[in-house]
Amino acid sequence: MDKKLLFGRIKRSKFFIVGGIGVFFIIILAFTSPLFVSFDGTTSSLMERFTPPEGFSKGLAGHILGTDQLGRDILTRILLGARISLSIAIICVALSAFIGTVLGLIAGYFGGAVDKIIMRTCDVFLSIPSLILAIAIMAVLGTSIINLITVMVISRWVQYARLMRNQVMVIRNKEFVLASKAFGASHWHIMFKQIFVNITTPLIILLSQQIGQMILMESSLSFLNMGIQPPLPSWGSMIANGRSYIASYPWVVVAPGIALMLTVLSFNFLGDGLRDILDPKQK
Amino acid sequence: MEHALIEIKDLKVEFKTERATAYALNGVNLEIKKGESLGLVGEAGAGKTTTALSILNLLAKPAAHIMGGDVLYKGTSVFSMSEKKLRDIRGKEISMIFQNPLTSLNPVFTVGEQIAMVLRTHKNLGKKEAFQEAGKLLETVGIASYRLSDYPHQFSGGMRQRVGIAASLACNPELLIADEPTTALDVTIQAQILELMKDLQDKYSTSLLMITHNLGIISELCQKVAVMYAGRIIEYGTVKEVFKYPAHPYTKGLLGAIPRLDVDSDHLEVIPGNIANVHHLPSGCKFHPRCAFCKKECEQEEPAMNRINDNHYVACYINEGGL
Repeated sequence: MDKKLLFGRIKRSKFFIVGGIGVFFIIILAFTSPLFVSFDGTTSSLMERFTPPEGFSKGLAGHILGTDQLGRDILTRILLGARISLSIAIICVALSAFIGTVLGLIAGYFGGAVDKIIMRTCDVFLSIPSLILAIAIMAVLGTSIINLITVMVISRWVQYARLMRNQVMVIRNKEFVLASKAFGASHWHIMFKQIFVNITTPLIILLSQQIGQMILMESSLSFLNMGIQPPLPSWGSMIANGRSYIASYPWVVVAPGIALMLTVLSFNFLGDGLRDILDPKQK
Repeated sequence: MEHALIEIKDLKVEFKTERATAYALNGVNLEIKKGESLGLVGEAGAGKTTTALSILNLLAKPAAHIMGGDVLYKGTSVFSMSEKKLRDIRGKEISMIFQNPLTSLNPVFTVGEQIAMVLRTHKNLGKKEAFQEAGKLLETVGIASYRLSDYPHQFSGGMRQRVGIAASLACNPELLIADEPTTALDVTIQAQILELMKDLQDKYSTSLLMITHNLGIISELCQKVAVMYAGRIIEYGTVKEVFKYPAHPYTKGLLGAIPRLDVDSDHLEVIPGNIANVHHLPSGCKFHPRCAFCKKECEQEEPAMNRINDNHYVACYINEGGL
């Protein structure tokens, strides 16, 4: 697409600007936080438990968002949790996108029996509730970050496979695909070069939307004690552990909740913005 | 005896869909010798493109079924070749120019990349060499080589067709199949493209299979012509002979339907009726329901190819006793 046209659309898309700025700051904050946080996010100090949010009254040295039931600084834990949540979300999205894209391309390109096998497998995966699958896997294999990633990848790759398959179906009957066959191109070349580059736009959009979904899923698994294990901070487990104190010490739950909401919202805005910008049908 | 470059022997192709079977080719016999240019004419749906695609064994599976006959490339059947062998032949020894230049180039690659891809597949050139070679090819089809890094949408239809021609000539193929290369272009551009193809054919001495429904193009470019109707070749011979003494009523009709400037007339000759429905072909000669000279045997049995002279063959009963 024309650079000028692209830039014009970026300027017009408020979703993209808001989401982009949000995501940018969240990523920067998450990955640079170990450099500037003034507390240790995992050691408890019971003397200071349930310190209410001090804001900036003590500058950066105070408990800006207060402390939790074990006296740990909530802001520090949110920042560290963001690092873990984001890393896991990005790894899961990358893995599931890779698996789903390859299988979707193969299914859409070859069609016939190959397509049927892959798509019926997708149906099977779609029919398993992801939380129940998670509980089953964690119960058998135990809780670990690797198992957490496995569960999330297993329950999400289907989205990519289905999207890619449908897109390939549209492209594979175009004349340029026949032309490259007539020029002696291999199946591999046609699938991954000729066709794939034509359908990256919907993939990019899905990727950015899925990051938000992955963060949510990781949080809900952690909320159910099946995700990140204490003392490592995760937004989901922070909310889970704080929920019994919600009446008397609401900040313990509200702070990570708002962080989670803002992050997911930013990624969703970014995804919607990308859709507006990259969608070729909107001229 | 040396084999002809392409021999199509009694080729029968059907397209089977859920609802019906289309009898696309019903016994096509055709031969292309080295250096020869053959024109294939016929109405839409006569099976011209199917014939071309079956030479490359690129018929759309699983709908297409080869019911009989064979296509021999230098004496070897293309239907029994391995996928790898076929890929080596496609683009290198037989290459194809497509009908619509607007859709036959991939919109996301520059034209240079697309020509270079063909070169890299078949000639094992490096990225840089292939790109340089692509530049030279563009020059031969009359496009400045600095436009290598432009995308297809930055070219006009005629120029895109030139890019397609450049890509198909990249490996000096022995046979070039041109599937209505000028149908999607306007008349002045048509003339340019035909001129270009003529020049290039002289230069590289490639064989040419020109598929078109424009008889003018054939008389310009080809030595031989085959007329197709409902999946069969009904008349075959040198262009001079066939155009001067058309023997099949259908060929006569086609030639009569060309507007002429030297005859003062208000009406064009037309062939009554529509092309035979490929789902329900008539019995006997496929043309008989539209033929003014239809005899009884025409309705019952399909006429065989008869020799009129060495340069002229026709499949029609009215010529059996000689003209």
